[in-house]
Amino acid sequence: MSNNNTTMTSGTVQVRKKPLGLRIWNNRGHYIMFVPVFIFVLILNYWPMLGIRYAFMEYKAGGTPSWTGFTHFERMFSTSAFWSAFGNTLVLSLVKLFLTTFASVIVSVFLNEMGNLFVKKTLQTIIYLPHFMSWAVVASIFTLILSPSSTGMINGMLRDMGILGPNDSSIYFLADSKMWRPIFYMINIWKDTGWGTIIFLATLSGISPELYEAADIDGATRLQKIRYVTMPALANTIITVLILNLAKVMNLFESVFVLYNSAVYDVSDVIGTYIYRQTFMVARPDYGYSTAVGLFRSIVGCILVLICNKASNKVRGRGIV
Amino acid sequence: MKKKALSLLLASTMVVSLTACGGGDNETSSNSSSGNSNTASADKSGDTTSSDNTSGETNSGDYVLTDVKIMVNGTVNSVKQETEAQQTTRDAFIPQLEAAVGEAIGHEINIDFEVASHSDYAGYVGRMFVSEQYPDVMIMSADMLKQYETTGLLWDMANAYDNAEFQNRMKLPGINEGLKDAQGHLYGFAPTYGNGCITYIKQAWLDNLGINGDDIKTYDDFYNMLERFSKEDPDGNGVDGDTYGFISAGLIGTEAPWINYVAEFWQGAYPSIIQGEDGVWYDGFQAPEAKEALLRMQKAYQDGVIDPDSFTAGTKDAREKWYGAEQSGSAGVFTYWAGTWYQNLANNLEKNGVDNEVYELAPIKEITDTFGGYLNREAPVWVILDDGDGDDSREQAIFTAILDTMLDGDKVQTLWTYGPEGIAWSTEAEDFALYPDDPDKKKEYSYKDGEFHMRPGLEDPNVLAVKNHLDPALVIAPLTNGFVSSTDLQDVSNKFFTDHCVDAPSAPASETYSERSAEIIDARDVVIAEVVVNGGDVDAAMQKYTSSVGSLVDQILEELNSAQ
Repeated sequence: MSNNNTTMTSGTVQVRKKPLGLRIWNNRGHYIMFVPVFIFVLILNYWPMLGIRYAFMEYKAGGTPSWTGFTHFERMFSTSAFWSAFGNTLVLSLVKLFLTTFASVIVSVFLNEMGNLFVKKTLQTIIYLPHFMSWAVVASIFTLILSPSSTGMINGMLRDMGILGPNDSSIYFLADSKMWRPIFYMINIWKDTGWGTIIFLATLSGISPELYEAADIDGATRLQKIRYVTMPALANTIITVLILNLAKVMNLFESVFVLYNSAVYDVSDVIGTYIYRQTFMVARPDYGYSTAVGLFRSIVGCILVLICNKASNKVRGRGIV
Repeated sequence: MKKKALSLLLASTMVVSLTACGGGDNETSSNSSSGNSNTASADKSGDTTSSDNTSGETNSGDYVLTDVKIMVNGTVNSVKQETEAQQTTRDAFIPQLEAAVGEAIGHEINIDFEVASHSDYAGYVGRMFVSEQYPDVMIMSADMLKQYETTGLLWDMANAYDNAEFQNRMKLPGINEGLKDAQGHLYGFAPTYGNGCITYIKQAWLDNLGINGDDIKTYDDFYNMLERFSKEDPDGNGVDGDTYGFISAGLIGTEAPWINYVAEFWQGAYPSIIQGEDGVWYDGFQAPEAKEALLRMQKAYQDGVIDPDSFTAGTKDAREKWYGAEQSGSAGVFTYWAGTWYQNLANNLEKNGVDNEVYELAPIKEITDTFGGYLNREAPVWVILDDGDGDDSREQAIFTAILDTMLDGDKVQTLWTYGPEGIAWSTEAEDFALYPDDPDKKKEYSYKDGEFHMRPGLEDPNVLAVKNHLDPALVIAPLTNGFVSSTDLQDVSNKFFTDHCVDAPSAPASETYSERSAEIIDARDVVIAEVVVNGGDVDAAMQKYTSSVGSLVDQILEELNSAQ
């Protein structure tokens, strides 16, 4: 038996594809609906990519862009401030990611174990709140709290407790290279842990109660239930969250920008803040250089995404892109 | 069928919207290609044409400017629109300005103001320019002018300036003559001189410790006063050592003339690229004076006479801490702008219930022996964008309409000086009181019809309205209508400053400096932090500076000196 589209041979059915034009015509409604999206993606996502060419040009306000080849990259790779910013970006982002994820997991597990629903919901709301504060406000609050002047709360407490003597200088937490990173991580944990718990709590609520009942029958303690039921159930989500966020590590800017200063450039300056100063702190910047640094950042970001995809394939059996 | 109709509708809506966007872009780029914004249009001999169609117009008298786009930073108070009060002021100011300018030039004109971020003005302007969006006329700092005057973007207004109507009332001709380059070109027009900072001391603190401000003549006198402010009880709250001697917005400024917030510590040092008396450019930060200044600040910081918050404080943070209601933790000395700000500081002290008498300190000996006085910064300027069509008529028309009338001595100048009539100021009879509900602070005002006066501010009805843009005390050609609102404090402060100031060193202008100065500033700021805040070794820090940006500095110096 056969018709225009199918042929039956030895019990199998071979579907002969219709010509592309005909298929498009048959699905013209869908294609017409897709056109606006396609145009938008082209204009908003691909058209701006043409700006990449400026990484290879001198491009100043009031001047005509002129080809300079790899000059900007040579300048970038020979500048110690750039490499410092690159290293800081990776260190700050990765440590922040692991710490906030770890804190989110711990808090999620504690919240999950909490029996009193009212207390649980109240605590959840309280720990979510910092996420909704802008970084500028967060920085102002912590700058006041950590101020080295006599009005600084933490320094005042250290003096009251006798840790700082009357003749000791105050600690300038945000201008001390040894202190800045721990403070930065702490503020990030305070701000983002609550929000990070949402996805883990959702996973925890999906764990079958039968597993816990079985553990109860086996005589497992609460800690053992966390160790042998809760954590294994969370493992896949933790890895997914880590992998997805790993792709964004090069985007660090705002949280650093509002908290750093010239005393701690060596440990705090990231690529985003480096680009900002090279572009906006000079009277007539060469946008070609900023584009070159931005392009390098994008390439590193892209490589990280590919690594994450590979890792995701291995761990979860499917990629993220 | 419904699905198809819906998809067709969506697609056509999208195409129409994109066409509309594209159309706008095309229009902008076509105008921009000739150097104009698309807001400027011309009406020649009664015919309205686009600004591109200006060929053949050579006589500025023939050109009728009907629209003009002005870009400003935060120094034009009457066009800000962040709060409701500012919006009300703007809504009143622009029509009044259009009417007054229209009356002056003999035809109607539409004026469009764009207010760019004050803190990132140079960056904003750069972004506008690379995207080929140009205003017709705009404000630039002296530093920006230096970087842009060689690009061909700016119109040479030397002729227009020389023939301006305000020349017959000119009080300070040297300001704009000094802005002309060696060939006599004038790319930026300064309606005022630059102004600078004075060191202010809380009189009550001096009195409490029995210090006479007039006795502070040298750095040692100054430092002794700061030490006493930080170790004794100048605020009289019964606690010794809970105050500071000095607070500033940073240990170095964010723009030239860099040292004016911390003048007594920097003294004769100038931590930037500077031209010596012999005409040779050199790096002032590598000079021995800068090293000595860093050591002075290091000691002051370690002695606790400088509020440590000074390192990261912005101007607002430093101001508010200085005049805040809580004087414990505050400082006795604060160096800030002369003139209007003297009045503002006194007002804010009073508002916070703090004794508002403020002593103005004359430059100490170490400053007068080196620079000669407080630094009068290079004046910000107004520039006109050249449309590049080889015809000056449009630019001349913009100069006549906006810059010449800005100093007309009468209506337009009054608006640029005080803001909108009826909102910021009035000549109608009225009685009002500031702090009407507080018997201790209450101040009553009564004015007759025809008497010029500032009105209570919309933002804060307990203080008089803030002025607009031009400071009547700094302007190069004065008002002729007798509208004077300066309070005694402003007059005193302006006179004090002009009696004790010298012009700040010129900013350098070189290709490499304009592009890479941020690297030098970064390295310099790191040294300051390392030495002053962290108490590091000054020689080691300077060594780090020269190894990181020394060759770049040398390259800039070579460019500057070879261009001499």
